[in-house]
Amino acid sequence: MPIRETFWNIPHWAEIAQYLVGLLTILIFSYGVIRRVRRWLQGRPQRRIDRIGSRLWSVVVQAVGQARTLQDIYPGIMHLTIFWGMIALLIGTILATVDWDVAHLLFNVQFLTSWVYVSYELILDIFGVFLLIGLGMAIYRRYIIRPDRLANMPGIGFKRDDAYVLIMLGLIGITGYLVEGLRIAVAQPDWAPWSPVGNAIGNAFIAFGDPSNRFLHYALWIIHILIAFVALASIPYTKFWHLIAGPVNIFFRSLEPAGKMSAPTSEEEPGVKEWRDFSWKQLLDFESCTRCGRCQDVCPAHASGFSLSPRDIMIKLDTFIWQPTNGRNMLGDTISADELWACTSCQACVDICPVFNDQLSSIIDMRRYLVLEGDIDPQLQDALANLGRYGNSFGKSERMRAKWTKPIQPKIKDARRDEVEYLWFVGDYASYHTSMTDKTLMMAKVFQSAGLDFGILYDGERNSGNDVRRVGEEGLFDMLAEKNLVTFSKSTFKTIVTSDPHSFNTLKNEYSENGNDHYSVLHYSQLFDQMITSGQLNVARKLGYKVTYHDPCYLGRYNGEYDAPRRVMSALGCELVEMPRNKENTFCCGAGGGRIWMEDPPEVAERPAEMRVKEAASLSGVSILVVACPKDLVMFQDAVKTADLEGKLVVKDLIELIVEATEMNLSETEEQN
Amino acid sequence: MNIVVLAKLVPDLVEELEIDDSGIALDMTWLRLIINELDDHAIEEAILLKERTGANVTVLAPDIEGVDDILFTAAAKGADRLIKIVGDYESGVNNLGLARVLTPVIKDLQPDLILAGVEAHEDLDGSIGPLLAGYLDLPFIGYVASIELEEGKATATKEYPGGLSAEMEVALPVVLGIQVADEPPRYVAVSKVRQAMKTAEIEELEAGDFDLSGGPTIDRMYQPEVGESATIIDGSLDDIADSLIGIFKELGVQ
Repeated sequence: MPIRETFWNIPHWAEIAQYLVGLLTILIFSYGVIRRVRRWLQGRPQRRIDRIGSRLWSVVVQAVGQARTLQDIYPGIMHLTIFWGMIALLIGTILATVDWDVAHLLFNVQFLTSWVYVSYELILDIFGVFLLIGLGMAIYRRYIIRPDRLANMPGIGFKRDDAYVLIMLGLIGITGYLVEGLRIAVAQPDWAPWSPVGNAIGNAFIAFGDPSNRFLHYALWIIHILIAFVALASIPYTKFWHLIAGPVNIFFRSLEPAGKMSAPTSEEEPGVKEWRDFSWKQLLDFESCTRCGRCQDVCPAHASGFSLSPRDIMIKLDTFIWQPTNGRNMLGDTISADELWACTSCQACVDICPVFNDQLSSIIDMRRYLVLEGDIDPQLQDALANLGRYGNSFGKSERMRAKWTKPIQPKIKDARRDEVEYLWFVGDYASYHTSMTDKTLMMAKVFQSAGLDFGILYDGERNSGNDVRRVGEEGLFDMLAEKNLVTFSKSTFKTIVTSDPHSFNTLKNEYSENGNDHYSVLHYSQLFDQMITSGQLNVARKLGYKVTYHDPCYLGRYNGEYDAPRRVMSALGCELVEMPRNKENTFCCGAGGGRIWMEDPPEVAERPAEMRVKEAASLSGVSILVVACPKDLVMFQDAVKTADLEGKLVVKDLIELIVEATEMNLSETEEQN
Repeated sequence: MNIVVLAKLVPDLVEELEIDDSGIALDMTWLRLIINELDDHAIEEAILLKERTGANVTVLAPDIEGVDDILFTAAAKGADRLIKIVGDYESGVNNLGLARVLTPVIKDLQPDLILAGVEAHEDLDGSIGPLLAGYLDLPFIGYVASIELEEGKATATKEYPGGLSAEMEVALPVVLGIQVADEPPRYVAVSKVRQAMKTAEIEELEAGDFDLSGGPTIDRMYQPEVGESATIIDGSLDDIADSLIGIFKELGVQ
């Protein structure tokens, strides 16, 4: 009967020595883990133990199932095979230990017998092959393909650490097979074919050497065991640490909506200056980073030539915490202000990270400190001062906020006085920016002719504060939100609608924590989608345009709304040709996170907006880029000029298509005046 | 080292200015007030000097609506003492009147350096710096862009039109009119201002009656009157030259 002869050919003293080395391994391992955990606990508190069920499920899907890792096919499969190969071998080893040194030793029974044992052998052999295939893919990718995202690490020693992991795993796999092969070559059990790889190696030994060489088996076994123990003991000290930190980090991930930014962890000292000012979860982020570089690949700032790489932020912070700083400061020397200000808060890095790091939260927390210190771009300073004083970044009087309504008859209701169903939160750009106000007028006209019961807040509206918050000016965000909430509380309405995804995001996700969630918030694309479906908005003419569409970060990635604008375009008779980067993979226009208020540094080769319009223009037969965000319109119209695409690509707001398709007569209002 | 900075609020030009019914003053109903920009520079310069030398900074301002904000903002930047001069500003106070009220206050504070914005857009009777210097019997340098402090003396860099600058050494105490601070006024986070509101204290001093004598009397205040609009001459260089010559002849240019 097939049975596992654990410790075949191994003298009893070696068996005992193995357990002693094992104990030592556990001690070294535990010391390393305790050292890590004590470091986390030096961070600021942050509550992350609610909804245990969802957290465990996250770990199952993302750590065990590797769902996000698999989104990138080649590295995904590579990692999956290594991971599951190793896990299966680990489980196999644990089963063998339990079989021999628990069941057999204490109860004199073994369960790795008969068909259970042969399937055990077969499965382990197959997973061993997976491991070696994955390692082969990794070696080919890291050392032959050499993708950009694995290059130019900020610091030394990382190459050694990366190679160490591959070498150790490779040695464990190969020596394991050799030991098995030698055992089979000598013992030649009947069930050897159930270990196809081990059997093949055994046959090779028989063909080429002395099959009775028990010393070789014995020596290889010792090497195999030692390598395995060294690898285990080194987990908390090397890149292997992500095996533990990764799943733990996934467990403690934020379960809040992406659009709801965490308030500063300390009210007295908002912002992060020293590493201990980070929360324990942020410190865990830095340790979990595997330097895979996916975040760097999708970062619009990095692509444009800004000094920012979210990958490097994580790596540099981890290095700073764990290695001697030699008197260097964290902010300024390790992480520069330029890097932090380059971020557009597009969330792409956060959404792609396989271990669920939140690079953005660390960037914003460090920005919060820079804001406190007044270490900001002069243009940004003007914008913030204007926002504080006038409630808009344009530095115009709030009494001019509704100036665009002048030609409109009948006058738009003032939601502060008259009850309305929809409160239209117009937003700064739509209210003040000269290239936007004609679109704002169109929207009013469409609302009016569709008989929508709506009103605006006139001079009572303030900037929603979405970007102010992401700049790191939390106090100003609070002030703006308080003012808007007071105005909301004096007005009667059911739903807020806005064309600005940034306002949409913060009104929907961040105003509610200030105690007001008696209303729902809609993006104009969602409202138009409803109005077209219900027949309230009548599409008189199918446009027949071939268009492409840019998903705004704060509508798409932040709030998951991809379909409503697409349904509207389709209802208007537009054929949508997707850009290569669409929906979840949309590419930021570069305006978010307060970037629209800042000057671009000279090293910026090609701005994100220019790359994006080129992407749109490269689609065959497409000459219209549809946007659903006032900032996008401003950014892309400018980029079309600077990228020399005038005449080839036109940027249109969704509302322009609606006006065309509903055959609305816009001059009518003006004639009445 | 004691530094006293004068700051005041002036109409914010973001709003359209309107003349009230009397025809000799601005309509205050719609006015919004903002710190005089050059006073903001004076505060910044004082804070920079404090950071360099450890000086003590007192900010002094007339008690007009919004004054608490500018004082607390100054405290958030690092000002040590905040004083507002309470009085009847409703009927209009000129710089002469203000300087007369401020003179004893400033004397009591025994400053080594008195800084004020070199001008404000609503100064109708001259800027406050020279007036104060006169009443205090102290020297005055205006249009100062940079200050170095040493024991008992200051070196002020004064800007002249045409890109000229002069360095002047002056014994303390002195009144300096600030044109621009060494660095642009810093940004103060709202949370810092809110913190200052909790911790800083604004002292109040009574102005008593203002003596406005010696100042100008306003007969009429009015919006700029629109002149004839400019004509843009299009065409080739020769055409433009020809029409110009035509216009000159018409105007009787010999």
